[in-house]
Amino acid sequence: MNTKPHNLSKMKKLLTFTALLALVTFAKAQDFKFGKVSKEELQEKVHPMDSSANAAVLSKKERIYFVLTDYDGFMQHREVTERIKIYNKEGYDWATKKIFLYQGSSGAKKEKVSNLKGYTYNLEGTKVAKTKLKKDGMFEEDYNDFTQINTITMPNIQDGCVIEYTYKIVSPFLVIDDVALQYNVPINKINVKITTPQFYRYNKFNNTKASYFPRVKESREKRTLPTRRGSFLGTSATENTSAYNNTNNSYFEDILTIVDTNVPALKEEAYAGSMGNYISKMSFELSAILNEFGAPQKSFSSTWEQVSKSIYKRPSFGNQIKRTNFFDDDIASIAAGIDNPFQKAALLSNYVKTKVKWNGYYGVSAYKGTKDAYKEGEGNVADINLLLIAMLKSQGVNANPVLVSTKNNGVPLYPTRKGFNYVICMVENQGQYVLIDATDKFSSLNVLPERVLNWKGRLIKDDGSSNWVSLMPSQQSQESTSLNIKLEEDLSISGKVRQMITSNLALRYKKRYMGLSKDDQVKSIEEDKGAIEVANLKLENKDNNALAISYDYELTDAIDDIGGKLYFSPLLFMAEKESPFKLDERKYPIDFSIPFKDKYKVNIMLPQGYKVETLPQSEVMEFKGGEIKFSFVVKENGNFIQLSSEFDLKSAYIDSADYSVFKEFYGKIVEKQAEQIVLSKI
Amino acid sequence: MKFLKMPVACVFLFLSTFGYSQSDSDYKANTIPLQLKIKANAVVRFDKQIVEVNDFDDMYVTTTRIVTVFNEYGNRHQNAYEGYDNNTKIKKMEARIYNESGKEIKKFKLRDFSDESAVSGGTLYSDSRVKYLSYTPVKYPYTIEYVSEVQMKSTAFVPQWHPIDDYYVSVENSEYKIINNSDIKIRTKSENFDAYNIEVISDTHVKAKNLNGIKYEAYNPGISNIIPSLKPALSTFNMEGVKGENNNWEDFGKWMYNKLITGTDAIPQSAIDEVKALTANTTDNLEKAKQIYQYMQDKTRYISVQVGIGGWKPMDATDVDKLGYSDCKGLTNYTKALLEAVGVPSYYTVVWGDDDIKSIDSEFSVTEGNHVILCVPNNEENVFLECTSQTNPFGFTAGFTDDRDVLLVTPEGGKIVHTKVYNADDSQQITTANVSLTATGDISAQVEVKTTGYQYNLHERVVNKSLRDQKLSYKEYWDNINNLEIALIDINNNKEDVVLTESVDLKASNYASKSGSRLILMPNMFNRVTNIPPRYEKRNLDFKLQRAYKDVDKFIINLPEGVAVEAMGEGEKIESNFGSYEYKIEQLNDNKIKYTRTYIMNKGNYNKEDYNAFRDFKKHIVKLDKTKIVLKVN
Repeated sequence: MNTKPHNLSKMKKLLTFTALLALVTFAKAQDFKFGKVSKEELQEKVHPMDSSANAAVLSKKERIYFVLTDYDGFMQHREVTERIKIYNKEGYDWATKKIFLYQGSSGAKKEKVSNLKGYTYNLEGTKVAKTKLKKDGMFEEDYNDFTQINTITMPNIQDGCVIEYTYKIVSPFLVIDDVALQYNVPINKINVKITTPQFYRYNKFNNTKASYFPRVKESREKRTLPTRRGSFLGTSATENTSAYNNTNNSYFEDILTIVDTNVPALKEEAYAGSMGNYISKMSFELSAILNEFGAPQKSFSSTWEQVSKSIYKRPSFGNQIKRTNFFDDDIASIAAGIDNPFQKAALLSNYVKTKVKWNGYYGVSAYKGTKDAYKEGEGNVADINLLLIAMLKSQGVNANPVLVSTKNNGVPLYPTRKGFNYVICMVENQGQYVLIDATDKFSSLNVLPERVLNWKGRLIKDDGSSNWVSLMPSQQSQESTSLNIKLEEDLSISGKVRQMITSNLALRYKKRYMGLSKDDQVKSIEEDKGAIEVANLKLENKDNNALAISYDYELTDAIDDIGGKLYFSPLLFMAEKESPFKLDERKYPIDFSIPFKDKYKVNIMLPQGYKVETLPQSEVMEFKGGEIKFSFVVKENGNFIQLSSEFDLKSAYIDSADYSVFKEFYGKIVEKQAEQIVLSKI
Repeated sequence: MKFLKMPVACVFLFLSTFGYSQSDSDYKANTIPLQLKIKANAVVRFDKQIVEVNDFDDMYVTTTRIVTVFNEYGNRHQNAYEGYDNNTKIKKMEARIYNESGKEIKKFKLRDFSDESAVSGGTLYSDSRVKYLSYTPVKYPYTIEYVSEVQMKSTAFVPQWHPIDDYYVSVENSEYKIINNSDIKIRTKSENFDAYNIEVISDTHVKAKNLNGIKYEAYNPGISNIIPSLKPALSTFNMEGVKGENNNWEDFGKWMYNKLITGTDAIPQSAIDEVKALTANTTDNLEKAKQIYQYMQDKTRYISVQVGIGGWKPMDATDVDKLGYSDCKGLTNYTKALLEAVGVPSYYTVVWGDDDIKSIDSEFSVTEGNHVILCVPNNEENVFLECTSQTNPFGFTAGFTDDRDVLLVTPEGGKIVHTKVYNADDSQQITTANVSLTATGDISAQVEVKTTGYQYNLHERVVNKSLRDQKLSYKEYWDNINNLEIALIDINNNKEDVVLTESVDLKASNYASKSGSRLILMPNMFNRVTNIPPRYEKRNLDFKLQRAYKDVDKFIINLPEGVAVEAMGEGEKIESNFGSYEYKIEQLNDNKIKYTRTYIMNKGNYNKEDYNAFRDFKKHIVKLDKTKIVLKVN
């Protein structure tokens, strides 16, 4: 079948007003004719709107549409054409493009790339020289069982050149991959059109965390096939064909158009978490397959309730919770004689942790199934946490799964199955609840790995009903440090540090240090602390998974003797030396991951023959009406100087709009900690 | 040349005579001698590799390896993987997992191993692939037994023996043997055997017993200079279908020249005409080379594609000319061809390219090296060109190919030469600043940083960043100054003399900290050493300072009205084997202070006993760099 979807727009049968508008802009964007670039494009030395750009996408055109074929039913076509200006050598990476093709799990259905063409344009004197991308610049690589990578690299790349390539991916799958609407270089003109037949209904989302939103227009058009076809009933019904079993030769198509200019580049900002969370893009999810009368033949998610239910109905989910016979005998004795369901949860989650190890894969569906995972001692997130739920249920505990979208998957803003990529366990009793993730050996009740701490999750009950629960830690993590300082005659300092660390801060610490030898632990404590020697390091697990750390230290470079007076800052090596917030402005929030509190109690014993001449001023500061508090109180008490200081962060997010105020606030904290105590001789 | 095949049955028969001699106790974690468990995340219980050389293009490698792994860091010592390509066939691959008490709990057959293309980070495409074991341990310790048999047609890379191949792994038993069924001469060279318990049965048969794990220590001279190894080379070998001779570097170089390079260096007449016209205005070879290097840099870019012998043979210069890209071999060979067109001789040069200095072994010729550069002979001194960089100054090698032995491939054969050594005076950083202080402790300053040599290499990367990122990198570079604001940046990259001059105008509020009516000012604002080498209770390894360098600093600090010096040090000087350091503070007049500092680091190899002295030297500098001036505010 020879269908050119572009011609559809010429039919103009059912054009709505908005679609017409879209067409007008569309026509304007057609200045970009493949194979022809202007001298002006080649002469341009810097991007007119973003002088920092090493390259710019002059034009990006993407078409996604479905073509009806005789044997395979609807096939998804995706045509991509990009024209890219490369200003300098730092932009040369843009001359290489990787196209990822999904190879299916069975191998029978595969994505294929075709119509691959490309040119590089350079200005030679006043002439435009054109170099064609040939076979020697195209590489096909079977990356692994599921993925083939087609790499192209453009010839004759020089500063100021323009490259252009076009290709088409034909896919037997109904899944539409995300369409990126932003890159880390500017896009001058973007023109995307996605056309889907009436039989497949897709939910469409754009990323609301992005700072750039394109203009999106939707319309509907009728499409008539050149010849009558109705022969699908005889072939085996697949998802691709079953919908189109009518005898009509026309159907509607839903069209989504994005036409825009001057898309700003996405620029990296430290402490924002994954930048992928902030890229502007369109996502699609198949919500239903309709029959010829427009009634759902198979429907998928559209509300969170439905999303949750459809996940629950999968054999790799709901059924896993119900199977218990394979472990019954093993766990009978573990929680015997214990009534408290939270205690049972603690015991059984520890049991699961020792029995089944996480293989590093996320997922809301059990990969091996709880039984095989239990037997083989290895599984993905769902294998492990659904197994725990099944065990708890078998012991009469009210345990249920909570669907989660991890931090790098983004916040689940719209009801989609793709929105969830992880599952944990929740235990409820008498109005109280705990959350458990048995994939991490250091996690504990209500102390979840940071990948999970992403806004809220969806709790699913046995009857399929569901509702939201917050995933953020209900309790602030704390790090309380007591620091004893004794000044010796030779101006060295000796003393003891005692720390108590709780909740997620403790989890973070354990993950980082518990695997190391004692020697290396000492080394990493000594790191960046100046001329310090640490001894007698003790790490001790306490109740509620808190961690107690203590060590002795000797410090030889902390005190300055200048003109007979002694100078030092009271927090010594515990002081924050620099503010990590160096950008002048931000577009995206700062993500601390967890709310926490840092407390310091410092006790300084004065050396013989010295008295206090100056102490730092005590101070209390607040950010945004108490969202963050900082206090620094110094007192002289006989032979001692005492400092108590606290940094109290109640919300883990700092909005980008508050950034400059926050930056200044944090800078002051660093300054305060650097202030010196001055001692003079009596 | 015909591939001479040995009957398969014969191979197996042959193997069985070398039946495994490992014992059951090798599978039990609790039978390991205590000494081997210290400083080890894994213990190699039994490792036996047999390399059968049947002909110059037929080699059969049998590996049996039993490893007990104690923790997740030890998983990497499984070594249960094999690379393969058209010339390397995996005949057998099997793994079994045993629990702590030696009971088998899992088994992997060939088809259970994961298969992926072996494209490394910088490579666009390669036709080599890798099969590897992906196993998630349920419990530690566990023991893995791995067996493989691999048939290779390429014999240029005979597996080498490294019984200890990393830090934190110890070895109970290791054996390596080459069986030569051909009449090809096999040379071997052993290294670092003395300090280890190694039994040498013959040149090609060695055994090691109870080798303790090695703990990582900073500034060590590189693990390959510490561990024992045996490397073999065949006098007649095959590399991806190309036959070669190798009895010494001369042979090997000749082979490379004749078989890999000759015939790839033709370039189109148009290119010849172009470079001839380009260099018409000079008769000086070095000047011509400079112009051509620039021409090549403007025209090409680096792309790594490794297919078949492409791992060692350069792409045709004609293709590089047409496509405008290639890898190090292609770009070097292309530059060589361009130079030839204007009558300038140059040599294709094989090197180990890395920030860590590593030499080609001048005493033993074997296929080695990971990079290729171009040597242009110039009277006494050789000039080396890095052809993969579009921005590198002409003849600049500091930081990647400096100060090491390399192999020149000349028509007469291979020659080992040494690349340029950058001395302290060659790698300088000169920082000058004019600073104004306010009565509240704010500073504003014009700072200039001039760098050469190795230090140029460290600073040069800021040149091509966007203004936003340049500002960020100066804030990181001077991270000792809080509230830093960068007002103006002017960078002059003089590639002719290889001098980078960075001029930065900046200001920072509250730089000097307040203490009552005093201001405490650290005069070393712009070049502070803060890092003290890690402390070791007992240092085990000797250490190495790889490169020499020199820092010179001169800051003028202007005080405001009403602020006077209350107290300050005058200066101090330190001399040591490792280098020297001196700072001085002078009050030029009532409101002008001059801070000067000179810091030189020497390069050298040192004994472990000297480590504490080295650490004290650095510690002292860190302290002196924090020197303070106390100012009185009236």
